[in-house]
Amino acid sequence: MLQYFRNIWEGFWTPLVGLSLTWRKLFTPAVTMQYPEERWELPMNSRMQLFVNMDDCIGCLQCERACPVQCISIDTVKAIPDEVEEATTGHKKRLHVTKFDIDMVKCCYCDLCTFPCPTECIYMTPSFEDSSPDRYGLVYHFANMTPQHAAELVEKARKFDEAEAAAKEAKGSATATA
Amino acid sequence: MCAMARQTAGDEFRVSYERQGDDLILQMGPQHPSTHGVLRLEIVSDGELVKHITPHLGYLHRCFEKHAEAMTYPQVIPYVDRMDYLSAMNQELGYVLAVEKLMGLKEFPDRLEYIRVLIAELQRIASHLLAIGTYGLDMGAVTAFFWCLRDREKILDLFEWASGARLLYNYLWIGGVAHDLPAGYADKVMEFVDYFEPRMQELNDLLSSNKIFIERAATIGVLTADDAISYGIGGPNLRGSGVKWDLRKEEPYGIYDRFDFEVPVGSGEYGPLGSAWDRYIVRVREILESLKIIRQACDQMPGGNPNEAMPRRIRPAQGEAYLRTESPRGELGFYLVSDGTEKPYRCKARSPCFTAISALNAMNHGGMMIADAVAVIGSLDIVLGEIDR
Repeated sequence: MLQYFRNIWEGFWTPLVGLSLTWRKLFTPAVTMQYPEERWELPMNSRMQLFVNMDDCIGCLQCERACPVQCISIDTVKAIPDEVEEATTGHKKRLHVTKFDIDMVKCCYCDLCTFPCPTECIYMTPSFEDSSPDRYGLVYHFANMTPQHAAELVEKARKFDEAEAAAKEAKGSATATA
Repeated sequence: MCAMARQTAGDEFRVSYERQGDDLILQMGPQHPSTHGVLRLEIVSDGELVKHITPHLGYLHRCFEKHAEAMTYPQVIPYVDRMDYLSAMNQELGYVLAVEKLMGLKEFPDRLEYIRVLIAELQRIASHLLAIGTYGLDMGAVTAFFWCLRDREKILDLFEWASGARLLYNYLWIGGVAHDLPAGYADKVMEFVDYFEPRMQELNDLLSSNKIFIERAATIGVLTADDAISYGIGGPNLRGSGVKWDLRKEEPYGIYDRFDFEVPVGSGEYGPLGSAWDRYIVRVREILESLKIIRQACDQMPGGNPNEAMPRRIRPAQGEAYLRTESPRGELGFYLVSDGTEKPYRCKARSPCFTAISALNAMNHGGMMIADAVAVIGSLDIVLGEIDR
């Protein structure tokens, strides 16, 4: 009998305790933010959007290899010795990067590509408002080369290789004759 | 009383039950808000009474285990994150410890061990908060869900500060961490703990001690200790049945033996032991225990470089290793076989949610209603990403 009334009492009282809590919460400021107008500050190491500083890229393909989802695709052409430049970190750029595409649709934002980079030219940025009406809009082309320029470089590299091979052959035949 | 044999394909895989003439087979899910993901339940019901439940899995299957064989050991970690996306850090910890066991690595800097414990316990709180909140939501208590998510956000902020991501971290690496904790991290964590403890009391006043909620949850989904053990259930679901089994105590991995904490078990205060409410209250009490561990870890956090012992090449020798850890959902095991290359030959994950969902019928003692089925599934705290992998 006592238990019966206690149950009724608790059935009334415990929801009232909860209601008083929610009532008090009515007068506290909201924890939500009105997003486009208000923004919270993202930490510097936020992993939102990949960015490649092409001036420093030496085309070593380490990021492409580290990627678990194969969202990075890179094409390189051998640079002829006169054209070898230096990255700001001092690494020799022995390869021209003709294509550096990152498919942000595939990207899983794991950050594995940024660690092996010897020149630290690929990194995650805290910008996250990249949307596109179709998925090809999220394929980012970082290489700043026109197809014509790339073709020229390929041709140049081929000619250089041929010339070198011819020189080697001539040298070889010269030594053979001597 | 005519027992009808079902002629559908795959019948031999079903648990046999006696279907009577008036039974209704109800399909619940896969797009149902109460199934916590894409789970389809085939409920054989007699009116409101549930006679048999068959969970159908596979809607979120991503071939994790096979896919892991095609990737190097560090590349698997982002996929491990996506198994149980609500407790990604604990999944990483389980995998990483298994790889370290496979490689035979034992000595690590103290700071790394403390970071791992701190991060894992924070993640446990975040995961339990979501479990509690969604359980309230399943029962119709909406406010608690918002309060839980509000506090979970604070933990995610802490994780974002450390790792750069809010949900899928790729933070705990083999033999190290991706980045050392930022300066002043322990103070921020302590700030959060001080903020959070009174909030937990509020949550208890709002939901845990609510008579309506208790009456609803304390009589349904009774899982006896024998059933729980024979189904291989671990974690809060097992402890809710009164079995004191916590891998952090029984087989301490990492440095859990250095911390002082209790293992809360269900006691059947308001109904039979092992009810849905017992499982719920074990999670609530575990949050408080995790807070204790976090306090100790923050106090004792040593300095130094956590990545001192990080191996440069991860190429374990031929062999195999199995390691189990206590994830927020139970016993998470990783079985790895190495053939001496950079990729695992076999990577098997032993999922705690899979065993939990398989015990669904053992919790039906004859009086389960269809509405109770929702409440029972909610109390198991399953994540379909881990069941299907």
